[in-house]
Amino acid sequence: MKKKLLSALLSVAMVASLLVGCGGTTTEAPAEEATTEAPAEEATTEEAAQVVKVAAVETAYGAEIWTKVAAEFEAATGIKVELTVDKNLEDVISPDMKAGNFPDVIMRAVGAESGLTETFIKDNNLVDLTDVMDLTVPGEDVTVADKMLGGFTSNTITQPYGDGKIYLMPMFYSPCGLFYNAGLFAEKDWEVPTTWDEMWALGDKAAEEGIALFTYPTAGYFDAFLYALMHEAFGDNFADVLQYGEGAWETAEAEAIFAILDKLADYTEVTTPANANDDNFQKNQQLVLDNKALFMPNGNWVIGEMAEAPRADGFEWGFTALPAVTTGGERASYAWFEQVWMPGPAANVEAGKQFIAFLYSDVAAAIFAEKGAIQPINGLADTLEGDAKIYYSIYDTGAVAVLDAFAATESIEGTTIRGTFCDPINSLVSGDKTIDDWKAQIIKDNDTFRANLKQQ
Amino acid sequence: MRQTKGRGAFIFCCVAPAIALFVIFMIVPTIDVFRMSLYKWGGYTANKTFVGLKNFKTLLGSEKFIRSFQNQILLIVIVTIVTMTLALVFAAILTREKIKGQNFFRVVFYIPNILSVVIISAIFSAIYDPNQGLLNSILGIFRGDKDPILWLGSQKIVIYSIVIAMIWQAVGYYMVMYMASMSAVSESLYESADLEGAGKVTQFFQITLPLIWTNIRTTLTFFVISTINMSFLFVKAMTNGGPDSASHVFLSYMYQEAYTNSSYGYGMAIGAVVFTFSFALSAILNAVTKRDPIEL
Repeated sequence: MKKKLLSALLSVAMVASLLVGCGGTTTEAPAEEATTEAPAEEATTEEAAQVVKVAAVETAYGAEIWTKVAAEFEAATGIKVELTVDKNLEDVISPDMKAGNFPDVIMRAVGAESGLTETFIKDNNLVDLTDVMDLTVPGEDVTVADKMLGGFTSNTITQPYGDGKIYLMPMFYSPCGLFYNAGLFAEKDWEVPTTWDEMWALGDKAAEEGIALFTYPTAGYFDAFLYALMHEAFGDNFADVLQYGEGAWETAEAEAIFAILDKLADYTEVTTPANANDDNFQKNQQLVLDNKALFMPNGNWVIGEMAEAPRADGFEWGFTALPAVTTGGERASYAWFEQVWMPGPAANVEAGKQFIAFLYSDVAAAIFAEKGAIQPINGLADTLEGDAKIYYSIYDTGAVAVLDAFAATESIEGTTIRGTFCDPINSLVSGDKTIDDWKAQIIKDNDTFRANLKQQ
Repeated sequence: MRQTKGRGAFIFCCVAPAIALFVIFMIVPTIDVFRMSLYKWGGYTANKTFVGLKNFKTLLGSEKFIRSFQNQILLIVIVTIVTMTLALVFAAILTREKIKGQNFFRVVFYIPNILSVVIISAIFSAIYDPNQGLLNSILGIFRGDKDPILWLGSQKIVIYSIVIAMIWQAVGYYMVMYMASMSAVSESLYESADLEGAGKVTQFFQITLPLIWTNIRTTLTFFVISTINMSFLFVKAMTNGGPDSASHVFLSYMYQEAYTNSSYGYGMAIGAVVFTFSFALSAILNAVTKRDPIEL
């Protein structure tokens, strides 16, 4: 009898502990709700207690810029900033978002591997930020629109649905083009080519000295490269091509692009595809520093990325826009920029918009610029000094700035922009595909993209 | 009667927590994978659209999925056969033969298993480097410097480069497992075989293999499942599916679709196929390797 009582007691204890274990999670949830609700309640009674939740990705510019700007914003507006800054931002905020807790403001660019921003665009899950342009920058007496550089808010990235409404605000931008060793060019007395024909002539000359004409870090870098090339070749039809226009890739202009890509693959350093992955891409960049390849497509972050790398004697970074397709034709440079946006379920919409407006203030811009993060603000590029000035003044010296990207589509299972337009360059260089294979793939996928074009 | 009832209640209470946890953390998520594969969903919003079997239809017509399927099967077949053979041979040599530095070899073979996959891929990235890599430098002695072999760059070779790394990593672990069961085989059997005039090879096939068969059977099933999992880690760390999606396997392709192409539902459809495939494969392996256990 005693034994039975004991066993009954034990089993009750066991079941109870299980229930307690489960109970723990259920009681936790209301507690959490209470903490998030509390500031909201206070906010209604006291304006100063407003909160804005900001999540920003930590890039080469470091995390400090965000804590500094957040502190300045709190001082200027009295709105409290709850900041999350992390290199793997998605990993940190995704679990919370799946549970329904969204940050109010997210700083993450399109084109990241996780596709976080793309997912929100495809799901129509963004807050309309058009009116941020008319907001007065906190602490100043001008509006955001007064400060914004032209073109940056009227492209297919910031207006993903093409309906004239801005959903993503442009942040730090980097001119992308071809990087080379200016020291080597001076030493050999070579001219930087202005047309693709001159480029091939230079390639032959360099080949005699055992130097390849071209390399690329990874296939992903071809997005910026290709947009600039497309802008040069397609001219006025560029916008139509970005909307996956019917037959856009079966035109003479498209043929010119395919011919350039085909030839470029021949002139590419042969080992490039083997290192064109996230682990080893710096070995490809090293080729330029070692005078084994002349040009690579890149953005100005490469200078910081390769700061510690050994280099050839007399090495000096040089930067140029893409050569023109025709003699005297346009030369383009893609301006890659990051974006800040608000997810649809954001709780503190007004405070979030205030925060975004504040990012364009002189105070914030100075904090960002100190670490080399340059925003598209009028006159900001003029204040730069040294190397940075060369890169940011490229558009003053005749190169056309290209800002657009392919139009947003619904998510298409198994098909991506990168898979269609960038990755095949590896196959082309290694000889696993011909330019005709790639062309056929682009023509086929272009129809798929058009059929799934995002309708707002 | 009352006593058995009490006993039943006790057993129920003992087993209930484990069952509950198993159901909550294993059964429910598995069913969820199958359920989610019927939806079109980006992964973050609440709006899921029911699309029925459309994801599976797309899957069967997808060149990339078929390619990752082929890669996966190639990996399972080659890596399993080579690893198992090498592990058995090494284990037999190390247990049956008296060679110098036996313990040294044992440790050396086991080391790759202690290393994390990221370190192994860093090691192999260095070995495979087309310009300064170990492999090309050695081959260069015979074939000259012309046209370096792009171990991770050529689409025809890249999957075999991953095969080599995976075999290198797995051999030691299985070798140790087989050594354990081989040393349990009675020495007297080998002595009598010796007296009968059986050679080493005959002894291996007639005595060693049949007596450790149950062990081989278990590890084989383990191994196939772990190859599916490990190949994801290797591909992710070494090539990330590149160049041009040539080295994707099941799970790396599923990861790409679910987490980077905003196609969570489609990713889950791949997950459902992988689940069914590995389940079926294990069952088949189990059935075909079934032998009557030898009792001594």
